[in-house]
Amino acid sequence: MNVLKNYGLLSMVIAGLSTTGCKKDADLTVVPPASENEMEVITDVKLIFINNSDPSDIVEARAQDPDGLGVQELVILDTINLDASKTYTMTYEIFNNLETPGEDIGAEILEEDNEHQFFYSFSNNAFASPSGDGNIDAVSDPLTYNDVDENGNAVGLSTSWTTPSSVLSGGTFTTRLQHQPDVKTSTSGANDGDTDFELSFVLNIQ
Amino acid sequence: MPLAIVWIFIFFIHFCSGSLFAQTDTCSFNVSGKILDIDTKLPIPNVRVIVFGTDKLALTNSKGEFIINNLCNEVNTLIISCIGYCHAKCENHHHHDESPHIYIAQDVSELEVITIETNHSKENGTETVSQVVLKKDDIYNDPTQSLAASIADQQGVTTTSNGTNVQLPVIHGLYGNRILILNNGLKHGFQNWGTDHAPEIDISTAHRLTIVKGAAGVRYGPEALGGAINIENNPLYLNESFKAKIGTGYQTNGKGYFVNSEINQGLKNWSYYLGANYTLVGDRHAPSYLLTNSGKKEKSVYGGIRYHHKNWDFKVYYSYLDQDLALLRSSVAHSGNAFVRNINSDEPSFIRPFSYTINQPNQLAQHHLGKAEMHWRYSDNAKLTFKYGKQLNKRDEFDVRRNADRPIIDLDLITNDYQLEWKHPDWLMLDGLVGVQLFTQFNDNNPGTGVTSVIPNYKTVRYSSFIIESFKRDRNTYEAGLRLDYELNSVAGRQTNQAIFSDQFSFSNLTSSIGYVREISENTSFRTNIGTAWRTPNMSELYSFGQHGFKTTFGLLRYYTSAIGDVNTNQVLKISESTVQSEKGYKFINEFQIGNKKNTHTITGYSHYIENYTFERPLGVFGTIRGPMPAFIFTQADALFIGLDYSWDRDWSKSLKVVYGISYLWSRNIDKNEPLINQPPISVNYKLKWQKEKIWKFESSNLTINPSYTFQQFQAPKTISPESLIDGSVVISSDSEIFDFKSAPNGFFLLEVSWSFHWKNITGSISVNNLFNNGYRNYLNAMRYFANEPGRNVLFTINYLFENKKNE
Repeated sequence: MNVLKNYGLLSMVIAGLSTTGCKKDADLTVVPPASENEMEVITDVKLIFINNSDPSDIVEARAQDPDGLGVQELVILDTINLDASKTYTMTYEIFNNLETPGEDIGAEILEEDNEHQFFYSFSNNAFASPSGDGNIDAVSDPLTYNDVDENGNAVGLSTSWTTPSSVLSGGTFTTRLQHQPDVKTSTSGANDGDTDFELSFVLNIQ
Repeated sequence: MPLAIVWIFIFFIHFCSGSLFAQTDTCSFNVSGKILDIDTKLPIPNVRVIVFGTDKLALTNSKGEFIINNLCNEVNTLIISCIGYCHAKCENHHHHDESPHIYIAQDVSELEVITIETNHSKENGTETVSQVVLKKDDIYNDPTQSLAASIADQQGVTTTSNGTNVQLPVIHGLYGNRILILNNGLKHGFQNWGTDHAPEIDISTAHRLTIVKGAAGVRYGPEALGGAINIENNPLYLNESFKAKIGTGYQTNGKGYFVNSEINQGLKNWSYYLGANYTLVGDRHAPSYLLTNSGKKEKSVYGGIRYHHKNWDFKVYYSYLDQDLALLRSSVAHSGNAFVRNINSDEPSFIRPFSYTINQPNQLAQHHLGKAEMHWRYSDNAKLTFKYGKQLNKRDEFDVRRNADRPIIDLDLITNDYQLEWKHPDWLMLDGLVGVQLFTQFNDNNPGTGVTSVIPNYKTVRYSSFIIESFKRDRNTYEAGLRLDYELNSVAGRQTNQAIFSDQFSFSNLTSSIGYVREISENTSFRTNIGTAWRTPNMSELYSFGQHGFKTTFGLLRYYTSAIGDVNTNQVLKISESTVQSEKGYKFINEFQIGNKKNTHTITGYSHYIENYTFERPLGVFGTIRGPMPAFIFTQADALFIGLDYSWDRDWSKSLKVVYGISYLWSRNIDKNEPLINQPPISVNYKLKWQKEKIWKFESSNLTINPSYTFQQFQAPKTISPESLIDGSVVISSDSEIFDFKSAPNGFFLLEVSWSFHWKNITGSISVNNLFNNGYRNYLNAMRYFANEPGRNVLFTINYLFENKKNE
């Protein structure tokens, strides 16, 4: 092997080793990902029933999924206790409280109301109005929506409920929020699109 | 008649793809062939074959056969001299492992340049491991398919997939991070996690594919625990005339089409190639319904240059791929009820009219790969190689969600590879390769996804060194290798409350391999190899958290089991506090090949024991605000895989060949004595190939009939329906027996028929997949929960090859 070859060999080994072998001081500092406003997670839902004839008469029912995507089970914190023979307007507070301050998901739903609709089911004839058992099973069943989106389709961030004179104990009240991008029409139902939440409460009318 | 000595220049095609692992340039090439009389097809004995510029020569035997071993050079000129014969013609055989037949006509007239193809030597360190090589023609019939699909008909190889576009190769039951994918020789730097991320490789750029079926970790690194697949581009031969190829095709299922083109030329010291491809496929259909959102778009450009000077070679490569892959819309289930509905309905819940539009869920990926390499052959059988590769992988994934226009995953992954290898001169009869490598990978989440990142930011730095030595004596080859990897990882991520977590850890992995090959006779050989490989669990196995697609998944460090057996996910464990360990695999693989002129039987038997085998399994159904959701966890257990691949190649006549094949795999979690999940079922296949030289106007044509049957997976875990978990009729804990949400689908029969032809400069093919339009589901496709596989597909392709022969 001549001198030139030796030089070549040596320079190649050095070049190779200097890039492959001798980097002892690798910089291992990692910057964490930027903080994100978690938009998909809902941890707290509050149903707020306000008596139309007495705004100070408020009934609230809460459901909570304390760790969002974690494995902790959803907890229904309250039962819905309504008075007989009253008309209530029901609205929501929907939050992601994993962040501080909590993120108002309700506002986001209002912004995208043409992609969202709330559906309900309840014990048969639990209400004087709407009658029946709600529109989760059949979308054409009666339900009193107070709001519509830009296409004139019902949303359900506000709904009206009139209790009968009779009492009910241990009934059920289920609300389901469906996300229906490019799916929502005047006839789309509770099984179209994807579920953002589905919560079942115990309903008492006294 | 004067004594005529014919000098025939044969440009010896071999592999010099410039792959990282430079199989090319070791002095272990061989050329073999058969010299026949062009008229009588009778063998010509005592023809002298000399490799120009060396002292290597051979005389043909009584059957006209010759073999010359231990060739080093990239371009060899063969001088074939004989008396009374001239005007050579060479048949170009495309079947690998087949010797070329060189025909020589009587009487001298002119010099002619002919090309022959020859056996390519196996990679150092894998010589004793069972492997399969596919060449361009084997791959090229369907350039719209994925990498995994193109190799899936090999024994012991199958695919696991997440719909029609996202497919990963499975070798002997292992996939994902255990099968190393080498993109043009570099470890493909991509988001290699789960079954829902496929390598971003355009199969139509491949000139050659090598599938190594055993532990190839010493040569390729710890990710090759289960095997390796090397995809090589144009080999950049010198002294090649200018060639331009353009191809196009149409497929009925998905109304897809593609165009691809490549030019290449090799001069005395230079060679180059350049290519570009485009593919568009719309929604595919199962026999009785449309698979809404199952199309794909793919663009790629690639090229390479080689400069050859004396004993130096410089090569530079670049490739770019841009793809948009749709995932089945009906796979999205945001609630347990929707999951139950989707899983139980015979038809997907979301079907829309056919469209080329790709909506959410989809994956956008861009992959840049650049590589420079330098080879210096400083003596006849010694060489130094230095390679540097850089890859940038940008991935955006979109989900059906309130903020669907924002990606839910937005990652940039930068990979650097530095490799120095020394193929040392023969020393004490040892032939060997020594190398050092530095590998770095940086993963970065781009802000603005509106969700907590599934995968944290991380840096990985890995230092490796390896040595492989082989020793040949008579008909025996012994091979042994050792590799040491030291890997440093630094991780920083966020929990869902946006609190930061971080960790730093290192793993040292030792990989070794020892093997033996015996050539019992010309067509009979036995090879055996024991390999060990240690693999560090990857970032998704460690840190996955939350919902993606239809399921919620928790990585090894994202959950822990409390004293009372509850699974908790409220903190991120440090690796030092956890029980997580490296996966350690021990694979023993034996291949016995026995053949005579017409029959070749190949039996490959293997057993693979993996300590701390990391896998994803269903955990149960958890109450969430959306309703009960199916949850999966990553877990580790000791597992055993035992399998057998058998194939029988039979040549019924010169034009009719038949291959029978069967693959069987038994696998078990031996910690808990229960089945594993998502393991390939038994499959049998048959392939009939009828080659006709001249038929009507076509110079040659090929008919292939390929029926196959895949059995139901009888080793699947028991089934627990999500309904029974939701209503509480079945209660499970984290130590309950493994289960699945749906039972393994029935076995299925598929028939594939294809016909290809060659006419002047044009080649073309018509092939039909799933000819009977059978509706079936594949156990290894995650979409089996929701929809059937695609139905019948008729694919037409046509290629035009222009070759400027004057340039020679």
